[in-house]
Amino acid sequence: MSDHLVQAILCDRRIAYAITDRQCKVIAVHYCSPALQIWMQDWIGRALAEVVPEWLGSESVLADVLSGATSRVRLSRVNRELPDGRTAYLTLTVLPHLDDAGQISGLIHVVEDETAIGEIEQRLTQQRNELRLLQEELRQKNLALEAANAELRRLDQLKSTFVSIAAHELRTPLASISGYVEMLLDGDAGPLTDLQREYLRIVEGGARRLTRISRDLSDLTRIETGRLEVRRQPTDLGRLTEMVAAEHCPQLEERDQRLTLRVASGLPLTLCDPERAAQVIGNLLSNAGKYSPPGAAITLSAGLAAEAGFVQISVADEGVGIAEEDQPYVFDPFYRARNVVEVGASGTGLGLYIARSLVKLQGGRLWFVSTPGKGSTFFATFPVAAAAG
Amino acid sequence: MISLSKKVCLLGDFAVGKTSLVRRFVYSLFDDRYLSTIGVRVSRKMIVLPRGQDMVELSLMLWDLAGSEEFNTVRTSYLRGAAGAILVCDLTRTTTLDSLPAYAAELRQVNPGAWLVVAANKGDLVGEHRLTEAQVAQRAAELAAPYFITSAKTGANVEVAFHRLGELVVA
Repeated sequence: MSDHLVQAILCDRRIAYAITDRQCKVIAVHYCSPALQIWMQDWIGRALAEVVPEWLGSESVLADVLSGATSRVRLSRVNRELPDGRTAYLTLTVLPHLDDAGQISGLIHVVEDETAIGEIEQRLTQQRNELRLLQEELRQKNLALEAANAELRRLDQLKSTFVSIAAHELRTPLASISGYVEMLLDGDAGPLTDLQREYLRIVEGGARRLTRISRDLSDLTRIETGRLEVRRQPTDLGRLTEMVAAEHCPQLEERDQRLTLRVASGLPLTLCDPERAAQVIGNLLSNAGKYSPPGAAITLSAGLAAEAGFVQISVADEGVGIAEEDQPYVFDPFYRARNVVEVGASGTGLGLYIARSLVKLQGGRLWFVSTPGKGSTFFATFPVAAAAG
Repeated sequence: MISLSKKVCLLGDFAVGKTSLVRRFVYSLFDDRYLSTIGVRVSRKMIVLPRGQDMVELSLMLWDLAGSEEFNTVRTSYLRGAAGAILVCDLTRTTTLDSLPAYAAELRQVNPGAWLVVAANKGDLVGEHRLTEAQVAQRAAELAAPYFITSAKTGANVEVAFHRLGELVVA
């Protein structure tokens, strides 16, 4: 192969080399690229370890090549800072240099400028490592979230246990209070004055309210723990609606509110838990009364739903309505709309949550339409007995 | 004054701060940006140490080796002739401490007498630490190496860690 050819290949591949004597002193150099020229031009006469710092402190490695113990030493992707601040990537290879007699007379130090591929490799490595760091960070954050979640679950469980115990412990003394108040009102302990009777009615109302709260809290715990059961059976929902309306009439009348009852004739039987369905209707009626002004009209209807296979109950009021920003949250436990709090209506914010859970458990839907300042209508559906199978 | 040159390596997982430690030690510089090293970057730093009655002028040849997994297969060839190493872990990443025994074993396989110093880096990121000093101390003890909580950012213990390795390799 001609020298010109070799020269052309070396230049094209950006390969330079230096030859040393047995003392590792450079005796010849050859380079083409300007970058390598800047680095190698003053090598002649100097020790290899002096001009190539990679060999300083590693002279034993060079000695191994000189002795023939090692046939070659190669270091790839050696970083070299260029005057313009960029990094050159070189591959350094040390080979034995043989004389005409085949004896090792020194070293051949080959320098390959692989900056172009090195830069690509660096960018790839950079992206890969940054991705790994992100993955690691994500993993750590997931672990932290899992731990926080577990803690939240624990606290939630603790809350449910507390609520359940509190609700249960309230029930017995409340039953005593209600029982004895009833006996007093019945005159079992002698005649009452009007004032005594009035006071006892207040106590009775308070005890009833506490009983309702206690029942709601129990229901809440059961819903959250998945232990709320409904016993569905074929039920005349029209008749049930009339009964609930009759129960609530006195309370509504106390506020001069007018209840209109509309029950469609010939309604099919529905498959529901009568007690729990009555609870839902009662809850909706109670809300309508609470959030409507005195003298307002309330309409309770039972009829076939637009959706085939369902009977629909609706309760329409002329109350404060639900502001648009509150509407997405009205079925959240303990949520109370701002205007409801402002008008001073009592309540725990559990009624609608429980009502919707109960309807859902019975295979139906509960929803509402509302215009702030004009009133709301709540709808509940229950499956027809035959259709529910 | 005796003059010596010793090759020492920086070993550890990617992004633990090996390059930053060298930059801090050699040039008193720090850059927050992370730039992955591929291959090896050799820097030189002269330090003067006492050895018995003499003083030693030690030229530390610092081999900053790539920490990426892709480099694992060829790393051994870069370790030949090393008198010691700084094993670097990142106090904010637990796995980086777990990796140190493998680096130590690789180095000692090639250079059985090599000395080690553990640098638990990023000491400045106090709120983000996931490793305790006790964990670092235990791992360092297992490797029979002194350890330092370092910060390439503030410079804390960087000089001390390299000097300690210098003392060990000239002893």
